Amino acid sequence: MSAAPLHDIWDASASQPFQPTIGKNTQLTLGFTLLCTAVLLTGLFGLNNSLKNLPLYGIPASLAFGFGAVYMICAVGVYV
Amino acid sequence: MRLLPCALLGLTSLASAAADANLTHDASRNTLPPSTFTPPPHFRNVNLVRNINLEKSYPRETLNVVIENIAAQPQDAYYLAFEPGTLGQIGGLEAKDKKEPERTGFTAEAVEDSSSYYRITFPAPLPPNEQLTLSITYSTLAALTPLPAQINQNDKQYLHHAFSAYAPSAYATAKQKTKLKLPTTDVPDATTLPASLNAEGKEDPQKQGTSYTYGPYGEQAAGALQPASVRYEFTKPLTHSRLLERDIEVSHWGGNLATEERHWLTNRGATLKTPFSRVTYQQSAYYNPPSSALKELRFPLAVGSADAYFIDDIGNVSTSRFRSNLREANLEAKPRYPVFGGWSYSFKVGWNGDLGNYLRRVKGGAGESYVLKVPFLEGPKQAEGIEYERVVTRVVLPEGATNVHYETTIPLVSATTGLHRTFLDTRGRTTLTLTAVNVVDDWREERAALVVTYNLPVGARFRKPLALCAGALALFAVSWVVGNVDVRIGRASKGLVGGRKAA
Repeated sequence: MSAAPLHDIWDASASQPFQPTIGKNTQLTLGFTLLCTAVLLTGLFGLNNSLKNLPLYGIPASLAFGFGAVYMICAVGVYV
Repeated sequence: MRLLPCALLGLTSLASAAADANLTHDASRNTLPPSTFTPPPHFRNVNLVRNINLEKSYPRETLNVVIENIAAQPQDAYYLAFEPGTLGQIGGLEAKDKKEPERTGFTAEAVEDSSSYYRITFPAPLPPNEQLTLSITYSTLAALTPLPAQINQNDKQYLHHAFSAYAPSAYATAKQKTKLKLPTTDVPDATTLPASLNAEGKEDPQKQGTSYTYGPYGEQAAGALQPASVRYEFTKPLTHSRLLERDIEVSHWGGNLATEERHWLTNRGATLKTPFSRVTYQQSAYYNPPSSALKELRFPLAVGSADAYFIDDIGNVSTSRFRSNLREANLEAKPRYPVFGGWSYSFKVGWNGDLGNYLRRVKGGAGESYVLKVPFLEGPKQAEGIEYERVVTRVVLPEGATNVHYETTIPLVSATTGLHRTFLDTRGRTTLTLTAVNVVDDWREERAALVVTYNLPVGARFRKPLALCAGALALFAVSWVVGNVDVRIGRASKGLVGGRKAA
């Protein structure tokens, strides 16, 4: 058991409840939009598979995929 | 998507549960060393009143005792004796100063080298010849036995409880009384003790409605016992949980607190004399008489709970109802079959809640320090009560959480931290596993709040999307490399698209 009285920490922090960046109701919309963007950018990259397009389309596409996948899996009920 | 891992988890935990259950059984009941320990006779019980409450499916005892230090030195430990063989069934033992209930610092623990004592340590030593009034409460699990052990499906069930009319004590007792609180007035048998034992010359027990009193008794030596027993009607299930596993998963990304409970229940009540008759059971459904079968479990959940599920080994159990509104959220679950005496049922229930109600950012912290407050035990709330042989609560914190501290009022037998790997994890989530044995359902909710603090650095917070992002980017890079590999046969000539015209 920890030495600090943790109940007091809980009471003292009453004014700061945890606020998720994205609420449960918008997760599906956001996740879907981001995944669509990722697919779209992947398609654009595929049309012209060049080194110049790698940062131009590849980086935004992978960012959109990363965050989109996290929000999508939360939206379908597997809260990660 | 959720069911497959759930099923796998269920299978593995079933195996480990069986192993664990054996373990506790061995450790706490069978292999205790013989009693070699005798407490020093430093105290005298001036007055002792023992209340045994039998209204639920487990006896709950309250011992109010005025103790006096008769040694020459100040003493800070009082030894509480139990009847031989019952120590492994004692749970939730709490000691308080009866006159100053808010005084804290009393600790209680089983004495290691004995099979029948608990040591209660005071916040400050008690000087010689001083008195202290202790109020000690505890429950005894699996202490009631059905008698007769076999009944018909619609019969009344009677329970037998054996106890000692003299409270077991490690010290001499000047005056004492044992009071029983029974659930009904239907008490076919209660041991009658001769008036010669009673200090007031009355024959025991003295009955008053549903309370039976044995005593008062005069001076008794340490360790004096007077066997007595009572048999009373209790046509309710004796729900005994062999194991309860609770998972509490914190998701910062989803803003969700997911709770799952896996129960392994047994009804310890009287078994059926004849094979189960569906006709009799169906008939009784119309007039709903009291029954020794477990027919329904009610889970009062926290307000705002959502997405409740009730699943057993076969799959979803459709005889459940989940009602959630602004004031309450209730899950009413009917087991797949009525659980009669000797029968078992295992299932799992789960639900989600908004993380904002359970998690707070620590004030004055660096913005990445969090405090979580969840109930250690929830489970069903039954009028007749439930006893848990072993409760394993696992708090799954976000991946990368460090500096985990916890605090809870419930006595624990073990606490470990480890890693749990599941969806989208790279390193695994920090988990805190807490185990308690011999718990009863009055520890539900607020009484056994579990407070956990942890740090979650920014790097760890973005671990999941960035890991996915890195994976996708690597895929793009590979596709660029592979897409630009020259796989044409023959000498490459510049300026020709497709290379058809080469050579």
